[in-house]
Amino acid sequence: MKRRTFFLGIAGAAGCTPRGPRLNVFNWSNYIASDTIARFEAETGARVRYAVYESNEEMLARVISGNSGWDVVFPTNYFIEPMRAMGLLARLNLDLLPNRLDLFDEFQAPEWDPRLEWSMPYMWGCSGILYHERVAPAPRRWADMWDDRFRGRLTMLDDPAEVLGAALLKLGLSLNETSEAGLRRAQAEAIRQKPLVRAYLNAEVRDQMVAGDILACQLWATTAQQAMDEAPELRFAFPEEGFPLYADCAVVLKESDRAELAHRFIDYLMRPEVGAAIVRESRTATCNLAALRVLGEVLPPTLHLDQPVLARGQWFAAMPSVAQRLRDRLWTEIKSA
Amino acid sequence: MNRVRAWCLAPTAGVLATLFLIPLAILLGYALLTRGAYGGAFPPWTFENWQRLADPLYLGILGRSVAVALVSTAICLVLGFPLALFIARAGRRKHLYLYLVILPFWTSFLVRTYAWMFLLRDTGLINEALLALGLIEEPLPLLYNYGAVILGLVYGYLPFMVLPLYATLERLDPALLEAAADLGARPWQTLRRVVAPLSMPGIRAGSLLVFIPCLGAYLTPDLLGGGKTILVGTLIQNQFTNARDWPFGAALSLGVMAVVMALLMGLIRRQDEGVL
Amino acid sequence: MRLLPWYAAAVFVFLHLPLLVLAVFSFNESRFTVWEGWSLRWYRAAFGDAQLIEATWNSLLIGAAATALATAAGTLCAYGLWKRASRWISTSLSLSLVTPEIVMGIALLAFFQWVFRYLGVRLGMHTVILAHLMFCLAYVVIVVLARLRTMDRTLEEAAQDLGATEWQAFWRVTLPALVPGIGAAALLAFTISFDDYVITSLVAGVDSETLPMVLYAMARRGANPVVNAISTLIVFGLGLLIVAAERMRET
Repeated sequence: MKRRTFFLGIAGAAGCTPRGPRLNVFNWSNYIASDTIARFEAETGARVRYAVYESNEEMLARVISGNSGWDVVFPTNYFIEPMRAMGLLARLNLDLLPNRLDLFDEFQAPEWDPRLEWSMPYMWGCSGILYHERVAPAPRRWADMWDDRFRGRLTMLDDPAEVLGAALLKLGLSLNETSEAGLRRAQAEAIRQKPLVRAYLNAEVRDQMVAGDILACQLWATTAQQAMDEAPELRFAFPEEGFPLYADCAVVLKESDRAELAHRFIDYLMRPEVGAAIVRESRTATCNLAALRVLGEVLPPTLHLDQPVLARGQWFAAMPSVAQRLRDRLWTEIKSA
Repeated sequence: MNRVRAWCLAPTAGVLATLFLIPLAILLGYALLTRGAYGGAFPPWTFENWQRLADPLYLGILGRSVAVALVSTAICLVLGFPLALFIARAGRRKHLYLYLVILPFWTSFLVRTYAWMFLLRDTGLINEALLALGLIEEPLPLLYNYGAVILGLVYGYLPFMVLPLYATLERLDPALLEAAADLGARPWQTLRRVVAPLSMPGIRAGSLLVFIPCLGAYLTPDLLGGGKTILVGTLIQNQFTNARDWPFGAALSLGVMAVVMALLMGLIRRQDEGVL
Repeated sequence: MRLLPWYAAAVFVFLHLPLLVLAVFSFNESRFTVWEGWSLRWYRAAFGDAQLIEATWNSLLIGAAATALATAAGTLCAYGLWKRASRWISTSLSLSLVTPEIVMGIALLAFFQWVFRYLGVRLGMHTVILAHLMFCLAYVVIVVLARLRTMDRTLEEAAQDLGATEWQAFWRVTLPALVPGIGAAALLAFTISFDDYVITSLVAGVDSETLPMVLYAMARRGANPVVNAISTLIVFGLGLLIVAAERMRET
């Protein structure tokens, strides 16, 4: 009896939301402006439930059940094919997304989804080297991250794709190498580097760079830019051997029963003035050319790459099953070394 | 007699069956399936995932995890036993002390871990203080090693040791201690010969409650260990996220459970009565 | 033995110092770990964050519900086991204890997916509470049983010899003596429930985001003083509550 009363109480508490359609959006942190949601709600009368995540794995763990309740999420480009294969994504209705024409040419037909059937590119980024200006000579190449002068004051990202990627690029191989011989060579490089590495850290390294604990780290450009905004003595390098590129894209989940509203939200995010406001506040790298034009200010090079630099970048690709398993094993061996 | 007992056991039995045994059976099914191209688990049925468990790489990781968990449990016992004894004898104030043990643990585990990162960093409070006192010239590398991981685990799970210890020590008849003293036993002898044996149920329960989460922990090794080493919790987590190898992850988890179950059985058989 | 209070004091310092440092830094003006002067900006930010407030509320609600259910079921179960052991219940409970969190999370997720398919249940508060009930249960049984094991069986028998029914013997004799054990078990259950991230994050739906989930997302973005602020508030708030409760007990 008591139990039943309690559950009824909870059901009541959960049910007391106002009328009007509701859209549930799950996005990376720091990816919208403070008034983005409020303006959309005012315009459409819909209510938006907005929550944030910090990694693709975290997002996938939440939506993988197919009954999570989320409508729109933002996987990184190499997660789109796996999610589609798992039957999680709904096919996009391009008629409802006219603003897609404002995207950069590169994102009109990206290699991971050439006809934009499943995903709309939203923000892009890359990883490179963030370092302290007192480091001389400044690191220019991934190979510099194997230099003994950084011993104990160096971190790499805690991600097999990134660490193996840096080693592969250092060896002149492809970022998305699948051959066992190539991956083994990269693994040997990573193990050789491990004694110099203080830790494998993701976003946590940002304030350690600002405080000066760490002198050089492998880091995403947008996170690096946040550190540089706080500490002007930090510099960012796009390694000469090449560097990984990625794009976070908006998708509609198959489980969503508000697909039309979901499309409307995605198209709203792609409006030039909305995109410009987001970039102004969050300091991220938008995929939307028109938004940059509206913004009208010169972005720092970490957020807006020159064509010659961009040409060195390589897009992360989804790994076939066998290669993924091999990479995971190599990564486990690196960690156990 | 039997009817009352049956009614007492029924709710737990129901919960265990629906929310534990059935889900576990589903997991066992996963462990016998083949990995899908991008995750999930599909036919055909196979034992391959179980064969991979025998790999020295994975056995080594398991051994290291057991060692870390054992050391953490031992430290928790050394720190927790005197504390529990003190609280049990604190009279009117004992509830307050008990709450003082629990209080730090109402903040998120992650926040507590971050607090230690705060203290142990190169520019953290401990290093800054030692530098200011002139005791060291270079910051000590306190963070990102096994010591930091064990410290974090001890800090994280100490109340799991203190609470059951307190529950048994509190029941201990003070007259027994007086009797021992009257018969000429020194305090240390009393502790070893009287208090410790009588509090064995609490020691066993506490050690179990600490050992198991330490064995499966993955946030602490990643945050305080700086991801430089891999323990079995992280390995399992990786299978369900990065590696997207659910069947192997399922086999791995069931394998770990089998190992711990074996330990548990040994513990129960050696003692006349089990923890449960 | 005379050193015991000092030893206990040292352990208390070990337990509280890190959080004290965190609390002090929640009043720091800078968002990084460099001291720049006193400020309340992170507290203002915490109170202005609707997501954070709602998640705290969710966590308290889930913790209370799961603790109440797990303590009731677990205490009864411990009593039943104390009377006479039950091999399959003991084994299942032990098994639930040795299950790594991530495994239990995945197993529960798989189960809820399956239930969903046939019953049309979505993930939400109810799935989180059920999951928490599940993983708190064994802890309650262990703690209460440890307490029961130190008790004298003959007391109940004596009560029954004096004419009490079995139920009365339990209610009047055993249960009152068990109260400290039950209290400790409930505290433990609430602590575990309030703190869980791994399992919760897997079985939570859109409206059941808990505090650890929000804190995790925040902390992963780097040291965020809002996290320090909200933790300080929780410890301080619950601490006050406890002191008040102690005062009432003493008078």
